[in-house]
Amino acid sequence: MYKNYLKIAWRNLKKQPFFTFLNVFGLAIGMTGAILISLFVHDELSFDKMFADSDRIYRIDTDIKFGGAEMESAQAAAPMANALQNDFAQVKNTVRFRTKGSMLLRKSETNDNSKELQTTFVDSTFFDMFGIQLLSGDRKTALTQPNTLVLTKTAAEKHFGIKNAIGQNLLLNNTDTYTITGVIDDLPTNSFLKDYSVFMAMAGHVASRENNWGGNNFYTFIKLIPSANADDIKIPLASMLEKYMLPWAQKYFPGMTGESFAAAGNSIRYHTMPLTDIHLYSARESEMSSNSSMQNVYILSFIGLFLIILACVNFMNLSTAHSLKRAKEVGVRKTLGSNKTELIQQFLIESGLIALISLLLAVALSITVLPLFNELSGRAISLPFTNPIFWLILFVATIILGLFSGSYPAFFMSRLMPVKTLKGGSHTSVGGGNIRNALVVFQFAISVFLIVSTLVVFQQLKFIQSKDLGFTKDQVLLINDTYAAGKQVKAFKEEVGRLGQVQSSTFSSFLPVPSSRSSSSFFEEGAIEQDKAIQMGTWYVDEDYIPTLSMKLIAGRNFDKQHLTDSTAVIINESTLKRLGVNPEAALGMRISEEIEIEKSKFFTVIGVVKNFHFESLRENINALGLFLDKSTGTLAIKLKAGDFKQTISSIESIWTKLAPGQPFSYRFMDDAFNTSYDAEQRLGRIFMVFTILSIFIACLGLFGLAAFNAQKRTKEIGIRKVLGASISQITYRLTTDFLKMVGLGILISLPLGWYTMNKWLEDFSYRIEISWWILALAAFLAIAVAILTVSYQSIKAAITNPVKSLKTE
Amino acid sequence: MIKIQNLKKSFRTEEVETLALNDVNLNVASGEFVAIMGPSGCGKSTLLNIIGMLDNPTEGSYKFSDHEVGGLKERQRTELRKGNLGFVFQSFNLIDELTVYENVELPLIYLKMNKSERKQKVMAVLERMKIAHREKHFPQQLSGGQQQRVAISRAVVTNPKLILADEPTGNLDSKNGIEVMNLLTELNQEGTTIVMVTHSDRDSHYAHRIVNLFDGQIVTESQNRAMEARV
Ligand SMILES: Nc1ncnc2c1ncn2[C@@H]1O[C@H](COP(=O)(O)OP(=O)(O)O)[C@@H](O)[C@H]1O
Ligand SMILES: [Mg+2]
Repeated sequence: MYKNYLKIAWRNLKKQPFFTFLNVFGLAIGMTGAILISLFVHDELSFDKMFADSDRIYRIDTDIKFGGAEMESAQAAAPMANALQNDFAQVKNTVRFRTKGSMLLRKSETNDNSKELQTTFVDSTFFDMFGIQLLSGDRKTALTQPNTLVLTKTAAEKHFGIKNAIGQNLLLNNTDTYTITGVIDDLPTNSFLKDYSVFMAMAGHVASRENNWGGNNFYTFIKLIPSANADDIKIPLASMLEKYMLPWAQKYFPGMTGESFAAAGNSIRYHTMPLTDIHLYSARESEMSSNSSMQNVYILSFIGLFLIILACVNFMNLSTAHSLKRAKEVGVRKTLGSNKTELIQQFLIESGLIALISLLLAVALSITVLPLFNELSGRAISLPFTNPIFWLILFVATIILGLFSGSYPAFFMSRLMPVKTLKGGSHTSVGGGNIRNALVVFQFAISVFLIVSTLVVFQQLKFIQSKDLGFTKDQVLLINDTYAAGKQVKAFKEEVGRLGQVQSSTFSSFLPVPSSRSSSSFFEEGAIEQDKAIQMGTWYVDEDYIPTLSMKLIAGRNFDKQHLTDSTAVIINESTLKRLGVNPEAALGMRISEEIEIEKSKFFTVIGVVKNFHFESLRENINALGLFLDKSTGTLAIKLKAGDFKQTISSIESIWTKLAPGQPFSYRFMDDAFNTSYDAEQRLGRIFMVFTILSIFIACLGLFGLAAFNAQKRTKEIGIRKVLGASISQITYRLTTDFLKMVGLGILISLPLGWYTMNKWLEDFSYRIEISWWILALAAFLAIAVAILTVSYQSIKAAITNPVKSLKTE
Repeated sequence: MIKIQNLKKSFRTEEVETLALNDVNLNVASGEFVAIMGPSGCGKSTLLNIIGMLDNPTEGSYKFSDHEVGGLKERQRTELRKGNLGFVFQSFNLIDELTVYENVELPLIYLKMNKSERKQKVMAVLERMKIAHREKHFPQQLSGGQQQRVAISRAVVTNPKLILADEPTGNLDSKNGIEVMNLLTELNQEGTTIVMVTHSDRDSHYAHRIVNLFDGQIVTESQNRAMEARV
């Protein structure tokens, strides 16, 4: 019985290659999108779950409000971990990270450095905390001694084999010697440690042992005992302020109490952040790795769902449309005694078959586009071929999909009255047209919504890129890790400066693109009460910094080599000026100091005020900042004259290899570095774009099929109209506008929705565009243009058919 | 009114070439009523379609009121056809989605006539064909005879010079068939030229002249004595 159904189903599909193709192709594209998105979402949700007892591990976060600055930190004070462990029985274990960013590594006897992008000091409890196994080395003693380190497999293999790495020495940043005491496997790509490859023993980090409750520089993780949960630690955490923080602070602000601290508008709060939530829910300053957000997961899930729904809608639309052609078959079957159930089964088996064929195609498509998708999403996702659950889910989902999409056409068909269908008369009596139209409206509403979203995301990105940032990022070349040249850094800058293509250059590790940051509390001379503190960024630059980056001084002067006193000078930005509460001219000559105790004070004199420039992402406001004249040789920023950059870069490289043999030469352009701050947005934009195109494509497939069906259904009518004197353009216009009405309705529904949603999205940005009418108009225009293109082919084809032929088919 | 000389029409399908009309010569004068007869597949409909400018001849000349139609483009044929020609088919060919009124109105819309003028003309012709009481009905709600009356209304609403009818009674019972033939005769008597394809001897008796087609060629032409006697 079922074999017979299958046979008939297969024949039916083969008999209608065009229809089958549209159906299979549309469904396969929708499925591919859904598969990719599901894998991506699964990856997002799996972050850090592989670690032992991951559900009991928490990070201690600190919210600080102090000196007019607010900070949500992912870090805690150095003594926090020990205090928690000693004072509270619920805390089983702790570990701290003190990250060091990128470092150069080499064997002591060679000159060739390798660059490791993420390195960190870590407590020796690291292995127990996360259940990490060593490939070689002793788990108990590794990382207990100062100047020892553990490498990941990949990092170790750059210099040694895994086995013989133990006991070898490495030189870090050409200065400190470390002994390798262990090698671990590379860390999972779906963990917060994914980019880390070098782990140095915390025992060698002096600040980690200091009783300093003022600085929050240690990523602190705690593991609770199995019977405890996060709520049990809330009160203990809150007590840390009274117990440790205030007593420590009173050493510097005698007489300060919890009340006076709070009265000055200050506060410090500690929180727990579950390890497995970090990736999707944590967006604090200086996270250990770049996180994602639950919002993105939701957006993507919705898009995935949309795609599948679109594909199903297509399927239903095409099937019901197509089934009209089979009305006669149904009529005949019914008169021959076939009952409703059997007919429904026949149709469902057909749609199930289509869904399964689509699945095969979708899997093939997914394999093909996965590398592209990974590039787009910045992941290393693969299809879990060996996982039976993956296949089971796919298979079951496909069957459900097939049955669901097939159900409407099946019931629709099985209800047809045999007498009417055999008479072959009116098509209107067959009905279903309204539902088909509603489905088209729905598809275009979704497509236009996605078009609006894509346009807005890209508009905002363009706005960011072209905004006046207060400095010029174009034609600025950044040479990374220049400190590696050691004593030769000065010579390097001088020789580079002599190149014809170079306008000017400046040394600093602090740049208005992702780079080093530091900050400190400052006090105006004579106002050292703690409530007058100004939290200010401290950037160390040279005298070429302001001209090289084309920043503007609104008062005073730049640093000058001739002024020996400039070593105690500071150039403040407008935000600092605002905190000082004076006008630019009045600020000149003011003195500020970092220290609270007058005797120890070293004062810095304000010599200039620089116009505010954006040094963090445009999501954030511009905070107080001071530029200090000091040696900071992390990066050489070079302003180039227009011309052949390649040539200039290779000249710079040869100077580098001459002065710093064996040190890696790496560079980036400042505008590219700037754009990396908007990676998340750009990724979102690109993902939006891809899925928008997919959804439009699916919608068009549906429209195309429907137009073909419609033209066919109306062959006779078109023929009659032509006989009665209608011209080709009149017929084309008529057929096309019928569809455009539906598309128009879809647009009307989706524009306000898109406008509203994207306004919400834009609220995240301190500096943002307004959604202008033309974005909405453009989205509508695109949808209409695509629809016209899709439909007009069929309409014109129908319109130019000789009426003699169409009337004959009757 | 119609001058056809050495007209040939062939159809090309994938493998075979069918010669549907082979060297046809035919003249129809203004005001004539001509019946074309012959066995199925002999080319009657093909000839009628060419006369109706729905199709182009492959060879030969066709002059309609001294206009050469042979080489015209589709748009030019449409222009020439509009208002000059009316069609009546065996299967009525009404548009199911339109009402009786709208069906009849259609040719006037394509003639770009204004609404009030259209209304007046449509109603006049519906009255005359005794179908006005059904103006709001859809074709499916009418009997075959009524449907054909609507089709004839639609064919004559533009006051065409020529009406082409392809087996107009083929789908009707004899009572309705006779009624349709009487209507056509009436129109002819008012001056409309009629060319009609038919299988039926009864219907052919209404014509002035019978043209017999066989295998794409005209084999005999005869004046209809009986008809003349009756008139
Ligand atoms: N569009 C066409 N394509 C191919 N052959 C056709 C076409 N129209 C008619 N014919 C062929 O031309 C011949 C005459 O057809 P037709 O004029 O319809 O005959 P009838 O006298 O029955 O009306 C037939 O053999 C038919 O098969
Ligand atoms: Mg015929």
